[in-house]
Amino acid sequence: MSDATDFLYPFIEGEERDTGALLSDLGESARAKARTSAALRQATLERSTSVIETAAEAMSERFSRAGRLFVFGNGGSSTDAASLVALFLQPPWGQPLPARALVDDSAVLTAIGNDVGFDLVFSRQLIAHAGEADIAIGLSTSGNSRNLLYAFEEASGRGLLTIGIAGYSGGEMARSPHVQHCLLVDDDSVHRIQETQAALGFALWSEVQARCSAKEPGKGVWR
Amino acid sequence: MADIGDCLAVTALNLARRFGRGATMWCFAPQWPEHARHVAVEFVHPVVVGKRALPAVSIDAADPVASLRALVRAGDVILVMSRSDDPTALAVVRRAVAWGATTIWMGCGPRPADRAADHIVWAEDEGDDARGSAVHDGRLVLLYHVLWELTHVCFEHPGLLTTVDDADCNDGEVCITCSDEGRVGEVINTDGAGSTLVRTSRGIETIDTTIVAVVAPGDLVLIHAGAAIAEVP
Repeated sequence: MSDATDFLYPFIEGEERDTGALLSDLGESARAKARTSAALRQATLERSTSVIETAAEAMSERFSRAGRLFVFGNGGSSTDAASLVALFLQPPWGQPLPARALVDDSAVLTAIGNDVGFDLVFSRQLIAHAGEADIAIGLSTSGNSRNLLYAFEEASGRGLLTIGIAGYSGGEMARSPHVQHCLLVDDDSVHRIQETQAALGFALWSEVQARCSAKEPGKGVWR
Repeated sequence: MADIGDCLAVTALNLARRFGRGATMWCFAPQWPEHARHVAVEFVHPVVVGKRALPAVSIDAADPVASLRALVRAGDVILVMSRSDDPTALAVVRRAVAWGATTIWMGCGPRPADRAADHIVWAEDEGDDARGSAVHDGRLVLLYHVLWELTHVCFEHPGLLTTVDDADCNDGEVCITCSDEGRVGEVINTDGAGSTLVRTSRGIETIDTTIVAVVAPGDLVLIHAGAAIAEVP
């Protein structure tokens, strides 16, 4: 490969040998991404304070009625759902609260996915498990995942408290009448969105814990 | 201690080089298996269209050491995400040397010892970190997202991926008697009379173990000149 524009690309193909420049660029890129992530997290948390407090109050009310939390998402968001569940179930401090991720059982996921379609993998589980005191939280970066929208519709019909955590402008999730509280990360990088979604989940959990302790001093659990 | 950005840069370059030579990355997070799954899906099914799919696998087995022992091939990468005092994580990073694998240890809270793994990528230890919040509030996720992003930048520099760089090679310790090289081996089995089959980064070897105490399958030994000269705790 050789033409008049080669000077624009000093390291054509396999000719590059100096790792120092690359490592320096990579290090600066990593620091820039960390700064962007921290700024997005800070701005989103500040903007979301009232939604977080309202949603946490509603969650506390459900937990006080022996409600349980169901969390779901696809791909990386499925693991973020599991991480949020771990936070409620085995918290680093505070009271453990009943929470389950609807993404953990490959038998259930493949059975429903194969028999009735992947759009229904979460809603079918809610039909089997959820009652009116329960809580549904769905995570999606696009806000458009059909299986989440179906799950919210099912949850809403069953009287569950519904909370969506989405990215970009929230997509269908932000407009769905079946999502009572919607937390948004207004960004267009899936990675930066997911990092801040985790921060939102953590803030939500912290607010629920604060109410948990407040409602029954000295004991800290509702049931 | 290197800045976290520089640390991620060096780790990403080495990871890209290993992938370039056919490595699989085994992801293991004993207390936080969901994070291991998140890393695996990032690499296997990238969110950015056009980025190549890379072989990363999350391990969430009842006996992760036994599973990894059977799965890991020399030249592979093991990403461990845990606290620095997690006993299973320690067992894996110690054995990885004998398996010929490169280790990346990622986590938060108190740092592991500097040489505990080939690459140590640790979240900032400030504020609530001591209570474990970095695991849940997105800061651990940030570390592996950036690792993925930088690794793919490295693939745009093929000339740097073929370079042989021994700086990242952590092939055992040094014999304290003669200051010569010592290599870590994992005992496969022993005949009880001092002849022992071990796995090292070079493959399967028969060594003499008469001068160390009784060894059993799974034990780690320091090998020098065809003999075990010490047990590795």
